[in-house]
Amino acid sequence: MKNIKLADSKKSSITKLDNSKQNKRICDTIFSKKSVPYLLLMPAFAFYAIFWLAPVISGMMEVFTDMDGNFTLIENFKLMFQSDLFGESIKNTAIFAAVSVVLQYFIALLLAVLLNSKFRGSKFLMFIAMIPMAITPTAVAILWKTGLIKEGWINSILMFFNIVKKPIVFMNAEGLSAVLLVMLIDTWTVTPSVMIILSSGLQGVQKELKEAAYTFGASKWAIFKDITLPIIKPSIITSVILRLIAAIQVWAIAVMVLGYGKAPFLVERIAFYVDVVPGLPTSEKIAFTLSFTTTVIVLAATVIYLRISRRKTGGNN
Amino acid sequence: MDRLNTIQKTVVAIILATMAIVVIVPILFFLNVAFSSDVEMSKFPKSIIPSFTLTVKVVPADNGEYEIFYDNGEGYRSILTTKNPIKLENHFRRQYNVSVPGEKLLRDFSQTRINGPMEFKYQKDILYNFKQFFAIVNNALPALKNSIIVSLYTIMISLTIGSLAGYAMARYKFKFKETINVSMLIVRMFPTVGISIPMAILLIKFGLFDTMLGLALLYSVPNIALTAWITSSIFVGINPELEEASMVFGANRFQTFMHITLPLALPALAASSMYAFLTAWNDTISALILTNENQTLALVVYKAIGTTSSGIQYAAAGSVVLIIPALVFTFIIRKYVNQMWGGVEL
Repeated sequence: MKNIKLADSKKSSITKLDNSKQNKRICDTIFSKKSVPYLLLMPAFAFYAIFWLAPVISGMMEVFTDMDGNFTLIENFKLMFQSDLFGESIKNTAIFAAVSVVLQYFIALLLAVLLNSKFRGSKFLMFIAMIPMAITPTAVAILWKTGLIKEGWINSILMFFNIVKKPIVFMNAEGLSAVLLVMLIDTWTVTPSVMIILSSGLQGVQKELKEAAYTFGASKWAIFKDITLPIIKPSIITSVILRLIAAIQVWAIAVMVLGYGKAPFLVERIAFYVDVVPGLPTSEKIAFTLSFTTTVIVLAATVIYLRISRRKTGGNN
Repeated sequence: MDRLNTIQKTVVAIILATMAIVVIVPILFFLNVAFSSDVEMSKFPKSIIPSFTLTVKVVPADNGEYEIFYDNGEGYRSILTTKNPIKLENHFRRQYNVSVPGEKLLRDFSQTRINGPMEFKYQKDILYNFKQFFAIVNNALPALKNSIIVSLYTIMISLTIGSLAGYAMARYKFKFKETINVSMLIVRMFPTVGISIPMAILLIKFGLFDTMLGLALLYSVPNIALTAWITSSIFVGINPELEEASMVFGANRFQTFMHITLPLALPALAASSMYAFLTAWNDTISALILTNENQTLALVVYKAIGTTSSGIQYAAAGSVVLIIPALVFTFIIRKYVNQMWGGVEL
């Protein structure tokens, strides 16, 4: 509460300050005062110092101190490496991030290109394509759980079309097939958001450019590859990064549909230690170390991806 | 420019039709589940269209009792034999989602004494699963309230702090502008869980643990940056000469902001608040870490899913409540999706 008041009082003092100054020199330009932008940014700085930087630093301190509060470099990482399912969660997260990002990107690009070639009903189809991203993650989990249970709707469809003779027990999926299941559900939900970013990029592609290339006898594929793709490259980079960051942090669907430990992921493990075995000092340390590790992986993956995509651009130019 | 030939057209049509089916069919089945009664849940294979009526067959039995038959897809089965109105009423409500007084049921069934076995059709109570969700999950109603409160707090915090920063970014030139832009991107890239656990310790210190304000503070972390980006992109588009003109005519800075700048920036502020709303409304993991008693609706629904599949129709009904505002707001703000990462040149 205190901090909010702090931020608020700062804000109001800024407006007061502004007003008094402004009254003195009304016609003087608004944009000259050097300190004004910093004053306007002050609440944001204060907020991030208290509620972002402080937790981040204290989280890091937890990672590098042992249970008695002494400094340790590797003790907690040892604990993490020895924890249940850690190796598998790393492996699953890597597979999930790599495959789902590529899969979602290609589906989204295909849909974005098709839906952006204006035809009758394209707007309506776009609307339909966007529905899944609007559904709350918890609801998505229930939606698919009602399908995956033995007497659920997926088995109903499969039986109706005589694809299977006996209902499949999806909920018993383990290992790679469980990861695959999570991947498909995730693709269903997030592909629309990738598609939106790509299609807003596509709207920036000028028709004249394409027409010119077409008159000069370029094939459709060539136009797409040499004109459209380079122009929408910023959208592609944005959407892939967005997905990459989110994909590394997958957990909700895995837990809500299959339950803990069925398809272990990094963040799923964090939730496990917070939700299922809270209170134990070791589980707290493992949770801290896991979230530190996840953050490092997210940042590293983003930086590596940016490097690669930048280098490619440089080569093209 | 060019026309697609018939084969290409067919391929496109097939792809788009597949997409539409893949999106719509799961949702239809899910909605059906949310409106299903207990007996319908055990039906297999399931139908895609929810039924709004119940048909039972009633056969008169000895001692004034009635035997009730229900068709679960494999022909009529005897479910219950009774003449007790309370038992009948409870059975109809719990098993079929039909809320009809027991006396009325008995009166209806008494016709079978004259006519022999008959079929009866009753209207289902469409909202039964919703009522049941709020009745069974005992903190669901406070959780709904909490969700609304935490969303409002998040909107308030991120809008005030974020739009001030956004205004500064749009209107002024200063030294560390690019640095600030990039650091906001890094803040947004940080996994929320990463700061959730240390945040819990921080909030305990402040006495804000397990409060909606504490939760809102965490949700505001990504949203202040987002609000700053969205609003600054709008403020850039508002001509400063309008503001200058207003001040020439004697309005002070505050009046100018209230009467000129703010109305023009309203769409951006609305979009930012909807993003803030969605962050707070959709989250489960942070709520899991930062609350104890005061849970949010998404968390309650998440806990209601549990590990078994029984009673899943109530959780489904609860999540329909969860979906509706999220659905509405997402469609309103879809234009701004591009602003999510600040339009920073990556």
